[in-house]
Order: sequence, then C-alpha cells, then structure tokens
Amino acid sequence: MPLIKKEDPEDSLDERLQNQARIEELVSDGDDAFEDEDENGASDDSGIPFPGKPSKRQRKMPPWLQQATINLFHDELVTTTSEAQQKVTAECLPLLTEEDTGIFSLNTYGLPHLRRDQHASFLRAQLERLPAQYQVIDASRPWLFYWTMAGLSFLGQDVSSYRDQLIATVSPLQNPGGGFGGGHGQLSHCAGTYATVLALAAVGGLRMVDRKAMWHWLGSVKQSDGGFCMAVGAEEDIRGAYCAMTILTLLNLPLELPPDAPSRKHGLTSFTDKLGEWVGKCQTYEGGIAGAPTNEAHGAYAFCALACLSILDAPAVSIPKYLDVPALVAWLAARQTTPEGGFQGRQEKLVDACYSHWVGGCWDLIQAALPDNSTLGEDGKDIWNRAALIRYLITCCQQPGKKGGMRDKPSTRPDAYHTCYSVAGLSHAQNHYRYNNNNQPSSEGRLTAAFNWTASPPTEAEMREWKVDKEDLVEFVHPVFVLPMGVVEAARREFEQGGF
Amino acid sequence: MGKYSDDPAWADVTPLPTDEGGPNPLAAIAYSEEYEETMSYLRAAMAANEFSPRVLDLTEDLIDMNPAHYTVWLYRAHCLFAINSDLKEELDWLNETALQHQKNYQIWHHRMLILDKLDSCEGEGEFVERMFEKDAKNYHVWSYRQWLVKRFALWENGELEFTEKLIEKDVRNNSAWNHRWYVINGREGEGVRGITDPRIREREVDFAEVAVAKAPQNQSPWSYLRGIARKGGMPLSSLKDFVSQYASLEQPDEVRSSHALDMMAEILAEEDNGKQQAGAALDMLAQKYDPIRKNYWEYRKGMLGLPSAAA
Ligand SMILES: [Zn+2]
Repeated sequence: MPLIKKEDPEDSLDERLQNQARIEELVSDGDDAFEDEDENGASDDSGIPFPGKPSKRQRKMPPWLQQATINLFHDELVTTTSEAQQKVTAECLPLLTEEDTGIFSLNTYGLPHLRRDQHASFLRAQLERLPAQYQVIDASRPWLFYWTMAGLSFLGQDVSSYRDQLIATVSPLQNPGGGFGGGHGQLSHCAGTYATVLALAAVGGLRMVDRKAMWHWLGSVKQSDGGFCMAVGAEEDIRGAYCAMTILTLLNLPLELPPDAPSRKHGLTSFTDKLGEWVGKCQTYEGGIAGAPTNEAHGAYAFCALACLSILDAPAVSIPKYLDVPALVAWLAARQTTPEGGFQGRQEKLVDACYSHWVGGCWDLIQAALPDNSTLGEDGKDIWNRAALIRYLITCCQQPGKKGGMRDKPSTRPDAYHTCYSVAGLSHAQNHYRYNNNNQPSSEGRLTAAFNWTASPPTEAEMREWKVDKEDLVEFVHPVFVLPMGVVEAARREFEQGGF
Repeated sequence: MGKYSDDPAWADVTPLPTDEGGPNPLAAIAYSEEYEETMSYLRAAMAANEFSPRVLDLTEDLIDMNPAHYTVWLYRAHCLFAINSDLKEELDWLNETALQHQKNYQIWHHRMLILDKLDSCEGEGEFVERMFEKDAKNYHVWSYRQWLVKRFALWENGELEFTEKLIEKDVRNNSAWNHRWYVINGREGEGVRGITDPRIREREVDFAEVAVAKAPQNQSPWSYLRGIARKGGMPLSSLKDFVSQYASLEQPDEVRSSHALDMMAEILAEEDNGKQQAGAALDMLAQKYDPIRKNYWEYRKGMLGLPSAAA
C-alpha cells in the first residue's frame, strides 16, 4: 500500500509533515511501506478488544472519568469543533475506562504496562533505509535522528553504539559557514541544527561540531528586535529563540555576537540582547504564548518560551520578569482535557499526545518559577494532574501489536515524533524536577542556569496514586534541553573551557 | 539518462551528487532517480550562485516532489528577485500549489515575500478565505492573514466583519477570536486605541456575551472577556451579573459553565469579605464541576490566603 494516499490529504505523509505548528511533525510508520496491510491497517495491530477477557470487575474511576462528570456541560450548539471533539471523546473513553484494554498486559492497577520493548524497536526501525516516499522528509531528517536517540534514551536504551554512524551521517549536513541543514547541500536551519546537536549529544558525538562556524552562523540569524530567524531569510519565531539558545549553551559558545552579525548594526552586542523582551511579546491576551507576537497561543510555543527563559536565568527570576505568570498558569492548566486527560495545544482544539511534552514539560519550568512552593496544592506540590496524563498516554496512545510506537490519539498512526514526546511526557508526569539555586557556579561568559536541575523518582505512595508500576518508570528528561540528565552534564563538562 | 543530464541547456553544469556520509547512513532515503538528479543540479547551481530562468524551473520541479524543502523555497525567492521575474506569474503558480499543500509553512512565507515585493494584495483576502474552508484553524494561514492586514493596512477593510463571519460559522474557532483581538488591538503601538477605548470595549463585551450564550462551555469568549478585563482596564466585577447567569453560589447545582464558575471565583476574591465565597466556588470546581483540575483549583484557593487552609 502506498504510504502517501493522495486522495486523503489529511492522512498523507507530506501533509502531516508540513504542520510545523508543533515544531515539525513527522509521520514515520516506516515499516508500513514494507508490509502489506489492508486499507484500514487492520492486521495484527487493530486493537480489537480481546473477546475472551473476563468482563471487568467494576473499577472505581477517577473523578474526571465518572459518569456524572462526563455528563456535565454539553452545549447543544453543534459546530465543526464540537463534532471533532465528540468523535475523539468517543474513541478514547472505552480505553480510558478500561472497558477496552485490547491485548495489553495490565499492571498492578489494571492499566496497561508501558510497552517499552515494542516502542524501542519501533524507534530503531526508523533508522533503517527509508523508501522513496520519504523524499518529502528530506529536509527534516535531523528530527528523525533526535526523536529516535532521545526516545530510545528515555526508554532506558543505550544509544552510544550509534555514535560513529550518526557522526558520519550528519557530516555532509554541516555547512562550512556553520550550522546544519536538513540534508546535504541544504541551508543551515535552527530546527535542523537543534535536532542534530541534541542527537549528537545523546550519543556523545558533539566533538564533530564546528563550534566557531556555528557561532558565526547563529550570529547571522539573530534579529535586531531580539528574536531569531529559523534560517537566513526565513521566518522569525520562538522556536528559533529556543533552538539557538540551546545550541549556544550546550556548546558553550561566546554570548558576545560575532563581529559580522547584522544585528550589531542596530546596536546589539550579545545573543541575549532584547531576547527576554521579545519572548514576553509573544504572550497573548489568553495568557498563553504564541509562535510570534500577536499570533494565537499554542502549547509548543509555550514550552519554547519557558525553556528559552530558563536558559537566560533561574526560572524564578527570568519567567516572572518577562511573563504574566498567573495568566500563563491558568492557560496551561486549562489545556488538560476532560475526559481524555492529555493536553490540547490550543483552546478548543483536540487532545494530542505530543503536548504531553510541550505542555507537560511547561509544568517543570513554571512550578520552579513560583515564588513560594508552600502555596502549591494542599496535598502536594503540583498544579496539574499527573495521573490523568499517565492514563491517557498508557491507555490511548500505545499502538497495539508487535510494531509498537506511540500515537497522537487512538485514530492516528504511531510515528517517531509522537513516540519521543509521549515518552518524554510520561517522564514529566512520573518524575520530579527541581531547580537548585546556585548549584553551578557561573563560569566565564556561559549561561549556567539550565545546568542547575536535579531529578528524582516518585515515591511509593505517588506511584500508587498515579497507578504506575516500578517497571514502567521511564528515565529522567532534562526539563530545558529534553535530553537525558547525564547527557546534559557531559556536554557541560566537555565544553567547560569555552574558547575555540 | 535523466531530464537534466540529457538536456543540452544544462550541459555546462557538473551535478553534485548526494553525499551520504559513508557506507551506512542512518535513515537514508532511497531517493527516486528523478529527485536525486534534480537535487544534484540544485546543489551545483547553488554552489555557483546561479540565478537564472533555468534555476527557477529546477526549483519548481523540486517543490513538486518535496514542498517542505525550505532551502529550495528560499533559493527560489532569491532567484526570482535577482532576475526580476514576473511576480504575478509566480502568484498564479503559488495558488495552485497552495491548495495542494496548505499546511506547508514555506509556501506562506514565500507568498509573503512575493506580495511584499509586488506591493499589492489584490484578491488576497478572498484567496485566504478559501484556504479557511479546508481548515479554519490553520496556524500558518492565520499568521499570514495577520501579516497581510498589517502590511497593507487592511484594519478597517471588512476585517472585523470577517472575524464575525468565521465566529458565526464556528463560535469555538479560537483562531478567529485571536484574529479579532488582533484587528482591534493591533495598532495600539501606533496610537490607535483598541479595547482601552470605552466604546470599543463595550461593543466587544457585548459580542463575547452573545457568543457565551450560544455555547456557555466554549472557552474562547470567556478568555476574550478576561483579556478585555486584564488589558482594557475593566474591573471583572462589572461582569458579575452576566457571569451569575451561568454560575452562582446561590444555585450550586445549576452551574452551566465551569469557566463562568472560575470567573465568579475571581470576581468574589476581589470583593471585600468575598474570599470565603471565592474559596467555596473553587471548591465546587475541584470537587464537582472540573475535577481534573483539582490541584489547580486548590492552588488558586491557597493563593486567597484564607486564615485556615484546611478545607
Ligand atoms: Zn501531535
């Protein structure tokens, strides 16, 4: 079956690929192209409820899944939005309420286990040779490297064996003028460079990066208003700001703008000049953050904004300095959907697993920005609902069948993007992340705030409350750089000396 | 052998084939011969900094095969301007391509570059509107629309009516609400007052209240109202009567919108001696009307600074 169904653009690879609103989504059910499946993909992985399953002991549902709650607030007016929402609730509810657990094996609490091995092999399969239909991702291949290396690491897999192969593969992507393009002969791009640098970090291969050239190239995308363009001549948005500051910080490049940086002509001297102010302008009347000033508030951009500010300084300093925190907290809290329990990216849009990271990851950062932890909820320190997110990811987003992988929602196919960010989201939900003031002494010229994070696993009581078995815990994910904690520490040490 | 290698017009160019970086590249794409060849000629053209009509044709070929190829788009734009190509013609070609690849970011950025140079936006509003028929929440198209409004000063060219039309079609289209906010407030920097102008504020409050009545659990108009209060210097308490139609402590079983109850809690918290009641509203949200956000509502209650934190 051809991978790209031209008659159904919504489902086709290139359409999904081009939805860059979420940084860049990439469909990657690669093995489909090799296997013969029928139209509906109904082979071994159709997720048909197992008929012999004993009808479940009536479980007590959490409050947001009880019938009385689900019955609340059904406005009569039908619109495109409400129809789409109704459809998604209908496909999720049987899975959420465990009426339909498919063929999954269940944990102590009756929820499915994390299918760790299947998801890992799904990710590994993305690195095999891809058929010609994948031409449409020719400009986004670095993402595939990042999603697989990061996703595998979060699942507890060793990826260092990919080091030599990855270094060789990305060498032609590095441009003499600095940065990485999406492929050989392509212009350097913030997204491709971010993804490549992070993938290299994950395998311990950062040494192949030409740091001095990178510094020059980053100077060429810094804008006089404080923000960053994605590439020379391309759009300016908040992804650029986050990607550029991540690259700069991990590689310990000088904060000072290179002499040939165009923004110097407008009086800027540092990469950080006007940056916090520019990020602040992206907060909208809703309280959330847009990709660029005046656009619509969006979960992926909220993460980019908070992570970027958390590179500039301690979250408790930089976030309240540039953003209206209560408005943002209210906006973020409202993104968790009832009854699904995952996050939506925008107001009145649908739940989607990738926001488990984009919005889920915001909580680590914003909770660290609140002045006084004692004002956080009575029985804990969280403002959000971890148990609901875990349930959504575990029951609705795991692809059944031997191929594994994780997906946006039950009616979609798994891909590397959603697998990586679902597992990262699971990590935000399962683990605790703390910012420790002045843990790292600031070193010459380097922004060190982002290196001050520590992580800890949930307590036994929390695992019971969130219905998680120990064997289903995933690795810690660095709240700013979205890499394993050890990888970030290794990068910090590797370039501690600075210079070129 | 191939379209370009067989073409005498390209005989002077030595193609640069793809460097895979070694014998075992990761996630290597088995390019079609056509794509591989065209890319090889593009690399050669870019290396030589060639801007010519034949390069334009080449980029068109590549965009047909891979519309997400940002390098090709950027190079094409560069080329169009360098050789003074007919930009109207470019727009015609873009119109066809856009309908096929609506979710592509590059195409909208490219369109922006072209229109900026053309210095005319004739027919553009209608074109964008047609795009919304396929997906009325497309982020790139909305961001393009904002650019159009600003670049060609279309603030008062029916733009407000346009948002009204889309909101009428789907009152839950938050992108249309955001655009409405932009149309009204996007010129504050130039001294044109938006919701800080009392007359405009009143009109917009009415507009949002009518929308709430259609579907009280739709969050978009509630956020809009809150935005007006926050940015427009209007006390939330002026909405109390309106909000109490949807949520009131006197009728705790008749709440018609969790967003109304949330706003009521905020209104009460601002009143003298209202904190206790605000706490009660937040309890209702945590326990009955919005239990998924129990932690958030408790956090908000904690912020009230009530004497005894224990509920
Ligand atoms: Zn997604």
